[in-house]
Amino acid sequence: MFIMLTVLAVAGAEAVGQTETLVMSVLSSRKHRLNVSDNPVVGVFVSTDGGETWEHRGWKEYIRTFYTEAASDGVIWSACGNGVLRSDDGGKHWRITTGWRITEVLKIDCDPSDPSTVYAATAYGIFKTADSGETWEEKPLGLKLPFASDVLVDRSDSRRIFAATEEGLLMSRDAGETWAPTALQAKQIRVIVQDPVRPEVLWVGTENDGVFRSSDGGRTWMQRSAGLRHQTVYAIAVHPNNPSILYAGTHGGGVYITVNGGERWTRSSKGLGIPVVHCLLVMKTRPNVVFAGTLNGGLYRSTDGGRTWKLNSQDQGQIWGLSTQ
Amino acid sequence: MKLLLLAAVCFVLGSCTAQDDPVFDVRSSRLLEVVSAENEVSPYVIAAKVRTGRDLAGACLLLDSLTRDRAMGGMFYAYSLIGAYLFTRDALPDSLHAKVRLAFRDRTMYRGDTENHWVMYYTGLYLAAQTWPGEGRDTWFNGKSSEENFQEAAEWLGHWMTTSATIGQGEFDSPTYITTFLTPMIVLHEFAEDPVMKKRAGMMLDLLFADFAAEHLEGNYGGGHSRDYPEDIINPLGAPSTMWAWLYFGKPEFEQWEEARFRPRNRGGWETAFGALGSYRLPPMIRSIATDRSEPYVHTETKRVRNVIRLGTEKNPPVYKYTYVTSDYILGSLHGGILQPIQQHTWDVTFASGRPNNTIFTLHPYASGKELAMFFPEEIKFLADEVDRYHLVYTSPDKWNSSSPYERTFQHRNTLIVLYNIKEGEMHPHIDGFFPKNLDERMESAGWILCRAGKVYVALHPVRRGQWIEETVNWRWRSHQLKNGVIVEVGSEREDGSWEAFRTSLATTRLDTSAFNTTLSLSYRNRQGVDLRFSFDGTRMVNGKEIHLTDYGFFEGPFLQSERGSGRITMRYKGRSRTLDFNTTEIME
Repeated sequence: MFIMLTVLAVAGAEAVGQTETLVMSVLSSRKHRLNVSDNPVVGVFVSTDGGETWEHRGWKEYIRTFYTEAASDGVIWSACGNGVLRSDDGGKHWRITTGWRITEVLKIDCDPSDPSTVYAATAYGIFKTADSGETWEEKPLGLKLPFASDVLVDRSDSRRIFAATEEGLLMSRDAGETWAPTALQAKQIRVIVQDPVRPEVLWVGTENDGVFRSSDGGRTWMQRSAGLRHQTVYAIAVHPNNPSILYAGTHGGGVYITVNGGERWTRSSKGLGIPVVHCLLVMKTRPNVVFAGTLNGGLYRSTDGGRTWKLNSQDQGQIWGLSTQ
Repeated sequence: MKLLLLAAVCFVLGSCTAQDDPVFDVRSSRLLEVVSAENEVSPYVIAAKVRTGRDLAGACLLLDSLTRDRAMGGMFYAYSLIGAYLFTRDALPDSLHAKVRLAFRDRTMYRGDTENHWVMYYTGLYLAAQTWPGEGRDTWFNGKSSEENFQEAAEWLGHWMTTSATIGQGEFDSPTYITTFLTPMIVLHEFAEDPVMKKRAGMMLDLLFADFAAEHLEGNYGGGHSRDYPEDIINPLGAPSTMWAWLYFGKPEFEQWEEARFRPRNRGGWETAFGALGSYRLPPMIRSIATDRSEPYVHTETKRVRNVIRLGTEKNPPVYKYTYVTSDYILGSLHGGILQPIQQHTWDVTFASGRPNNTIFTLHPYASGKELAMFFPEEIKFLADEVDRYHLVYTSPDKWNSSSPYERTFQHRNTLIVLYNIKEGEMHPHIDGFFPKNLDERMESAGWILCRAGKVYVALHPVRRGQWIEETVNWRWRSHQLKNGVIVEVGSEREDGSWEAFRTSLATTRLDTSAFNTTLSLSYRNRQGVDLRFSFDGTRMVNGKEIHLTDYGFFEGPFLQSERGSGRITMRYKGRSRTLDFNTTEIME
């Protein structure tokens, strides 16, 4: 009870007068069937009213859209099975910027200081463009099987890049030219998140080992999984104003919340139809509004800081990614 | 009347020249006669209707529907739409030219995540970009110009051909999926304007057909398969590959679509119509390889595992394949383990009985998110459920297709040993065997399961016992022993004489399982007196000499020879040879 009151008290402080664009990537849907015409529309969806309504902005047909985000110059980048797509007009038209060598793109991260630079995490490693997608170059991780689930550009130093791999978390200090393992080795890393207030604080979610936290920019890591009864963590979201409050999306346990920087997690999945949460988003302008994207259960929204959830849209959809602009 | 129509079809096509290829010509005409009478929205029906002159108006209506039909999408659409268009464009009105062109602007075509998907996607993109050159980025669904699309497609197709000719396909020898390689290559061979691409597409057709031919028997695709649908595994003559064998090899004699017992799952899968319309002709040597079964032979191959993206140590480990081919049956096996997700078929004996369900095999029905995650990028704990949505049987304990990390094989001619070492706690802790009900005899004696299908004799000796479960078309033999094994002996009237003589010969075999409990190894002296020793850890010995699978060639047998990685494949038949050299794009005879 104390935890929930704390969440609500902090979450109540909404920014006024700001607009926020939410971007949702729907990979597929449990309703999807092969070779039929009445499949649900999937791909990229955008909301400018806090998730009250969503507008489809992606391709008309299925191309496996894993994640989409907007760069600081307004260009939208999308990580898809077909490669990395970009749109210069808010999603009306798209162009595949990659060729055949880049496929199964799971995540992208735009360099916050240079919107022409984008990193892509793929099933075949990390790739980078420095010219807005005209050309792409592999940035070899030095692994036999360089599967990468996630990539993160350190917003305080855009030459520092993190790659989530099956052999642990790798870090580059030279914009992807060379990579070295961090102290977090031999873990299958699913997601990397940077604290929105303190850039030296990083969080990762893992396949089997819960959550880890680094307070020194990735040099050392401490496990922060107390209370997590589900150790597969696909998503982590940090409260925009209070970094002690975090949300974790798990496989099997739905959403967990901590109000003390990961000292203790508490399950908070009331109303979630499916306990497999692959992405989370806390609105910057209305931090009491939290979204949880489930796999095969659609998008859920909480308006009370994650205490309770209601189905928002995309019933039975696979909501693979959420981002905010 | 039928003959008159056939003659008319031949006249329109202008291809019924007996000296060319009488088997193909007669059958292609017959096929087009049938397909052109269909009325489904199918690129193959459209092409057949137009090219036979049977129903141009109807074909135009169907093509119009096809450009709007969103039930068909992605890579399947990409190559078949452009194929139908190129086969028919001279007869089409301007409005349809425009609609087909617009489909490549307005339809978003998914590239897919398998080898066959990419072959179809890039073949479609290549031919579409070639058909409409010089057009800008805003006129294509993917925002790339004609030249960008053409270059990308050409580069990938070249990469795929080289890979297939050096280390093999990942989706190799598939009775189900061979259609998705042959049809795009037929279209590419027919319409590629670049003579090098055209020739290489023709060479790929030679390679795909030769690969099939060496393991073909009366319309059946024998041996182990990378991927196959369960319906096709338990009824080999119902597989799409049979349609191709019928058209190009002249086997089987019957028309698959007329025979309810062998009718393909998808009767509308008329992809062979593109073959009937195309100018590619099978080199006579390949048909001879497919049909001359005067001498039994051993044929080995090395293929590759489909791209491993995680939870492994190597992207494309080799697959070792051993097949024994006779005029009555084929016994073939992959070496075992996880070589493909979802649809692997590790071993079987397939016999020419003229009946459906003409096969016997065993498997361990394995299912695991980890296996799937080796090949698919979605989340490990999510994948099994997801794959089940499409393939319906992935997690079923009763499925008839599966790879398994707990299965290994060792084959020597017509003797096969299969070992199972299932880990405790596995989802499905049993092995299954498929035995068709229409066998002439099935009995058990002295530890052997004895089967007779016409003139073919199959004997299986399980190391540990199982039980019989009656099903619709088959008996299922199931054993819940986690450590188990099966000795398989196959013979025939031609090889062994009578059924009784075959059974009697089994008494001369010696099976030593004294080390089975401790090391999961066994020794076996077969009916020919050959001593075989096999351990689950990989030791394979014949008469005391160790067999190293790494010694297998890319192809090794009387008909096909190639060193792995060489890019040169030589076919041989009765003193003649034909070499496909993918390094120089040359064919030497």
